[in-house]
Formats: sequence, structure tokens, C-alpha cells
Amino acid sequence: MVLSALACVLVAIVAAPLREVLDLANMVMLFLLTVLVVAVSLGRNPAILASVLGVLLFDIFFVPPHFSLAVSNLQYLITFAVMLATALITGHLTATLREQAAQAERRERRTHALYEIASKLAGALSQAQVEEIVLPFVAEEFSGKCRLLLAEQEVPGDLPGEGLAPDHVARVIETGVRHLDRQSACTLYLPLKAPMRVRGVLVVRTDEAPDEADLAFFEALASLAAIAVERLHYVEVAQRSEVDMATERLRSSILSALSHDLRTPLTVLIGLADSISLAVPELPAPAEARIAAVGDQARRLAGLVGNLLEMARLNAGSVKLRQEWQSLEEVVGSSLKLVGDAFGRHRLRVELPRELPLLRFDAVLIERVLCNLLENAAKYSPADGEILIAARPVDDFVELSVSDEGGGFPEPMIGEAGDMFVRGHGESSIPGTGLGLAICRAIVDAHGGRLRIARAPSGGACVVVCLPRGEPPQIEPEPA
Amino acid sequence: MSGTPRVLIVEDEAAIRQFVRLALEADACQVIEAATLADGLARAGEGGLDLVVLDLGLPDGDGIDFVRAYRAWSEGPVLILSARVEENRKIDALDAGADDYLTKPFGVGELRARARALMRRRPRGEELPPVIEFGEVVVDLSRRQVLRRGEPVHLTPIEYRLLAMMLAHPGQVLTQRKLLADIWGPSYVESSHYLRVYVGHLRQKLEDDPAQPRHFLTETGIGYRFQVTP
Repeated sequence: MVLSALACVLVAIVAAPLREVLDLANMVMLFLLTVLVVAVSLGRNPAILASVLGVLLFDIFFVPPHFSLAVSNLQYLITFAVMLATALITGHLTATLREQAAQAERRERRTHALYEIASKLAGALSQAQVEEIVLPFVAEEFSGKCRLLLAEQEVPGDLPGEGLAPDHVARVIETGVRHLDRQSACTLYLPLKAPMRVRGVLVVRTDEAPDEADLAFFEALASLAAIAVERLHYVEVAQRSEVDMATERLRSSILSALSHDLRTPLTVLIGLADSISLAVPELPAPAEARIAAVGDQARRLAGLVGNLLEMARLNAGSVKLRQEWQSLEEVVGSSLKLVGDAFGRHRLRVELPRELPLLRFDAVLIERVLCNLLENAAKYSPADGEILIAARPVDDFVELSVSDEGGGFPEPMIGEAGDMFVRGHGESSIPGTGLGLAICRAIVDAHGGRLRIARAPSGGACVVVCLPRGEPPQIEPEPA
Repeated sequence: MSGTPRVLIVEDEAAIRQFVRLALEADACQVIEAATLADGLARAGEGGLDLVVLDLGLPDGDGIDFVRAYRAWSEGPVLILSARVEENRKIDALDAGADDYLTKPFGVGELRARARALMRRRPRGEELPPVIEFGEVVVDLSRRQVLRRGEPVHLTPIEYRLLAMMLAHPGQVLTQRKLLADIWGPSYVESSHYLRVYVGHLRQKLEDDPAQPRHFLTETGIGYRFQVTP
């Protein structure tokens, strides 16, 4: 404004000595030129000032009588009017042109910046990098502060400087609609809308309220950031699952190598011990007995190794359940056959209702559970004690229990089920590692069932396996 | 089977081959050894084998490939040796035509029993005897009649077909896939619950204690085996 006034005064001072030489019309031209220059260089308002001031100065200094606002000839009033109108229109048009040029330049600059951001974001490897790319730009272009908040993260209490409303953030994430908070400096909450879902919020705080162009620009910026964040999310997911798969592969290959390497020598040991007894001529009886003991110990070791490997497989999560609709009676039968040797003079009672529903489980694993329970029962109960296998439907489960007439579990173990390597009787002369129950629990858990340790009516041990009933598939009736 | 039975062992562990040889030689078998799948197939190609004992995990290939190749020209019995965790591979090998399996580690007693049973087996294609007895049950296949303790037992058509199929393969493991496909049809191979229910019926009708069967045995996770003498 001051500059514009000075320019007019300067023109008046320079032109004043020339007023005798130059025609008044040319003087008008000089003032109009000044308005044009002011409009180009200083903008619309200075141009208006220059127009009015120019007319006044022209009147005072150049139109007779000089140094007065009075006009000698009324025709000059027309000159003034035309001069003022021309000056205002020229100034306005020029200033508009200037603004449009500036706007175009700004748009160009922002478009270019967005392009740069997009290409930088495409290379971003972390969320911190996304922030590093977006933040300086907003600071530079709008001298504003901004912050990238992701949906998974906690919303921090503060934007640098001033408080930030967590409920706005939450709402924007939920609805995906931007929100402009005009209280004390404008705070704009922009949803990071990615193809899959809203990934977070870009918060921008500027001193002036953003206009439509600014808003459109911020939206574009937010969607670029959103796509970058989503891309990073999926990169992370892919990496994680790749790592998981690699770990999984490693685990199962170690387990199967271990299993092979442990089983082979045991197979050889058992086989060779057995085949010594085939020797011709026959060995003396004590030697036979000793070699039979070697075979027995090797078998026990094999059982132990089998349990350990099973536990390792279960813990590693590498066990895939081969669930089919199975008959409990059948699995009880095959388990009894497998552990047959373990029962010496024990009496065995099986109480299975005839109409038990089929249950969905992995028969090999449930057979392992039953074998472990039956072996335990045989180990811990008196030589002529009774071992009872019973089953009954209870609500949505079928309870299968194995009870014996031994000493039972100590009180603290009742209810709880099989922590790894916890044995009912601490150090006892009965061989075992306490692994059996832990395996049983892991298997039953994997089936969505429960393992419960109870006390049998006789005071002996009772382990209850609850398996979910589910809905067995229909059996088409046989055509008669 | 004439003269000394010839048995081929395909197994990469020398020590296992050694005791399998000892066990089978005690049964007066002539034993041929092979350490690789290729060598095994070459030996098998020479012919005249009464039994093949085959390890599933061989260094130069899968035992299942051996079974498939061998079945191209021979119907001779194949006994598989495998680790416990390999249920699926066992089933595949059995479906491919293997006859029985032993899970490592196994005792010499089991090995000899299985080997004897397989070598004693009626050659494929030979007729079944028309009357089969097991336990207290007499099955007269020519008259489609089943008697238990002298009393006739009523079986539904499917139960009878299941019984006949198991009787036709005494001592042999029948995978549930094969049983389902043969008795119910190929679209039922995944419907194992049919098998559970119908085997359960057979046991209830023909076994003394269905929970502890002596003839209709379960090979858990694999299939069933019918055994005449427990």
C-alpha cells in the first residue's frame, strides 16, 4: 500500500516539471501506466489505491487551477471519471491475471510435489519413512504441522504443541469422513482410506482455514499415504507368514530327521536283541534272559522316544489333526490291543453304552491318549486291581474315563491336568517321565476337549477325557 | 511256492537289513538284499520272489514308487516298513498295492508272523473256500448264510458284502479308502463314518466283545484287518 502510494507521488513529482511541455492526455497515460505496474507487481488492493490516488494527484498538480481540487473546466470531470474507470478495470484485470498465474504456479508446484511424494512413498519401507516423507512437505507448503496416526496404534494425547482430540480421530477412522476442527487454529482430520479399509488418520494443523483447493490437495495426499501404509501392512503380513512358514518347515524337518535318527538305532537294537534268541544252537538260559531284558529296555526307550517326539510335534504346532467321524468303541478296542501286554493280572472292565454317537477326532492321536492312560492305570494300580473304561454323554460332550484302584493322584493334582513332566508321585520306583499326561492334555486340547483328573470311587486315579459331540453326518438307510 | 521261499529286502540301513535277514533265514527263507530303490527294482526284475520287505524312506526315491513299478508285473506280496508318523505314506503305499505294514521299531516275532502270513496267502485269483469258520461263526459263502453258535445271523446286504470282502483278504490290511470305494462306490471314499458304523454292526453281530474284537481288527488311521485266528 505504501509502495503503491509512493509510486503515484513519484510519478506526480517527476511529471510536474513537464506539465508545460506535455499534453494533459499524456499525463493521464503516465498515471494509468503506474496503476498497471502496481497491479502487476503488488496486486489488486494497491492497484485500487493507485487508481484513486492517481486521479487525485492528476487533479491537484496538473489540472488548472493547480494545487487545488477545484476544476476550472467541467470537462475535466469526464476525464477523471474515464481515468478512474480505466485505471480500476486495468488494475483489476491485471491483478486477476497475476493471481491466476500465481495459482497455476502453486497448483503446478503441488502437483509436482504430490508426484514426488508418490514416487518416494512407493519406495518407503516403514511407517516411519512414510511419515518422514509426508511431514516436511506439509510443513513447507502450508507451514502447518501434521501427524500420521495409524488405526492399530494408540492415539497419542498431543499433536506437537497443542492437544488433539482422540474422539475425532476415532470417529474419522470409523466413518471414513474428514473432519475440520476450527477451534484455535484449524485442525483437519483426514481419513487414510485404503482399498481395504481406513488405515488411520492424517492430522494437519494450519494457521489459516484451508480453501477448497487445499482440501482437495490434502485428500490426495492422504490417499497416497493410505495406499503406502496399506502396502506396508501387506508387505509385513507377507513377511511374517514367510518367516512363519520357514520356521515351520525347519521345525518339522528337524523333528522328522530326529525321529528317523532316533528310531533307526532303536529298531536295530530291538531287532538284533530279538534275533539273538533265534541263534542255533540255543544260548544258555541266563544269556537268553539278559538279551530279552535288553530287548525290553530298548522297547521302553522306543516308547519314551515316541512320547518325546510326539510332545515335540504337538508343542511345535506341526500336528495336523486328521479328524474323521470315529467310533469310540473302535478306538478303545485298538488301544486295548496295543497295550495288551501291559496288563498282567489286572481285571479289565469296559462299560460303553451301545448307542454312543460317532465323535469327530483324529483316531491315531486319541488312541495315543487312551494307550497312555491305560499304561498309567496298569502301572499305578495293584497287580489284581480292576481297570475301568467307561463312557457317557454329558451335555455337548462325551466323557470317556479310565479309572484304576491304585493310590490315586495326590490332592493338588485333582482337577488340574498334566503339566509337562509333573509326576503324581515325584521320584518313585515306577518308571515314567510324567510326559504321558501332558501329551494327553495337548491332544485333547487340540480337539477342543478337556482333560480332567479326578478320584475314582475306590480312591484310585480317574482321568476323564471330554470330547465335543458335534453333529455326526447322516447315514443313508440301506435300501431294504 | 516251491522249495525255499525267496525274499527281497529293500532297506538302506545295513543293520536293519541284517536282522531282517537273520529273522527270515530262521524261517528257512533265501534272502536277497538291496540298499536302494533302483537296485531293489533290478533285483525284483529277476523274478521268482515270494515276498518283498520294503522300507518306505529310501535314499534314491519313495518306496511307493517301488510298489507301483513292482505291481506292473507282479502280484507278489509286499510288506512295508515305516515310521509311526508316516500314516499318510503308509496308506498311499497300501492303496498302491502293498499288502501289509510294520511300524518301526518292530520285533522279530511280529516280522516273522507277518512274513509267514503273507507268504502263506492264497495266490490272487484263486477261489475262496466256500465255507469259512472263525471263532463261533460259520460263513457259508455259497449259500449266503452266516451262523453264530449254530444260530443264523441276519446281515443286511451291505453288512454281508463287507463281511465277504474282509473274508476274501484274511490277515491283510484293507485301507478304508479301498473298502469304501468297493462297497459303497467311489463317491463315498471320504465318508469313513459309513465304515465305522457298519464295522460296528458286524462286530456286534459276530464278535463276543465288540469293544475288544478278535477277528475284525482296527488298524487305526489306516483301515481294517480280518483275522481268522486271534
